[in-house]
Amino acid sequence: MSPPPPPPTLASQPAEWRDFFALTKPRVMTLVIFTGLCGLLAAPGHLHPVLGFTAILCIAVAAGGAAALNMWWEADLDAGMKRTRHRPVPAGRMDPVSARDFGVALSCGAVITMALAIGWLDAGILALSIFYYAWIYTVWLKPRTPQNIVIGGGAGAFPPLIGWIAVTGHITLMPVLLFLIIFMWTPPHFWALALFVQIDYSNVGIPMMPVVAGERSTRHQILAYSVVLLPLTLLPWWLGYTGRIYGVSALALGLCFLVLAAHVGLRRPLPDGDAMKPEKRLFKYSILYLFVLFGMLVVDHLATGVGA
Amino acid sequence: MSQPMTPSELAAFRARQKSRSRALALVLVALVVLFFVITLVKIKDGAAARHQAVAPVATQPASGAH
Repeated sequence: MSPPPPPPTLASQPAEWRDFFALTKPRVMTLVIFTGLCGLLAAPGHLHPVLGFTAILCIAVAAGGAAALNMWWEADLDAGMKRTRHRPVPAGRMDPVSARDFGVALSCGAVITMALAIGWLDAGILALSIFYYAWIYTVWLKPRTPQNIVIGGGAGAFPPLIGWIAVTGHITLMPVLLFLIIFMWTPPHFWALALFVQIDYSNVGIPMMPVVAGERSTRHQILAYSVVLLPLTLLPWWLGYTGRIYGVSALALGLCFLVLAAHVGLRRPLPDGDAMKPEKRLFKYSILYLFVLFGMLVVDHLATGVGA
Repeated sequence: MSQPMTPSELAAFRARQKSRSRALALVLVALVVLFFVITLVKIKDGAAARHQAVAPVATQPASGAH
């Protein structure tokens, strides 16, 4: 007869399901689900609602898996930053191996389900998006270059592309434009945040743009990307892929974005202890901007029936 | 080596284990249901596609006889 198992110790306390859920970065996932859903709803053609739901579920689960892998890899860095030190791994509520295994399981599960339910092209792009975020951005770019968020922004730009392809089954110019819109939106969105949390990043040695190139250069680049973003969001309208509802909305939303970005981009050197109100305003607006822009894309498609 | 747990810590340990097991069971049941429904949809779509592909072939000899 084998000896009884040793009693559990404090060190072997299992993580709660809430901690696993926190690993998936649920707040970021909201935007991922929404843009993926908009890509799916705005695409020409028909997809059975069950398969549509499955496609969005796979996008969400894959994003959660990539986020868990990111938190596993960056646990040491997260422990040094005020904003992230309460995450499950750095806070000691979960062992790193569980976080890694959870991330791998979610990622593989999402890709396999996407392949079986929707198609191999979508599954391949989904796998690429996970690799892009977990490896290219997290492991390779983030600790090495201040351009990390520019190139890494591609990781968050995949959902509408995947949603669109789930319906059409092939890649056309319109879903690529949707990808590019999020790609161009990411730097001003993220650098606005980096401007008011830059002390955190400098503490852990992450070469974020404000830390490496300075505030002034970051502000100018925020404005430059915002200037490029406006015509890019209007391209689908000019090329005839969308109707007037989207076009006018994109123009109005983009002009507001530009005004807020100009407030941030053209600010003079700040006194110590500045509340960074324009930066916080731009960061909040940029989230609302993307929600409304993609929402109007769907409204336009449903109202006019214009598609790629 | 870590200290053995006190009874209250052990109770907390068991409660966490139970909560995780329940969450996992829920996810597994949801996956079973999802895969079942996906299979039904795929079979239905496949049957409809086959029907569409076969229908013109079935009518061809009749029209070709004239």
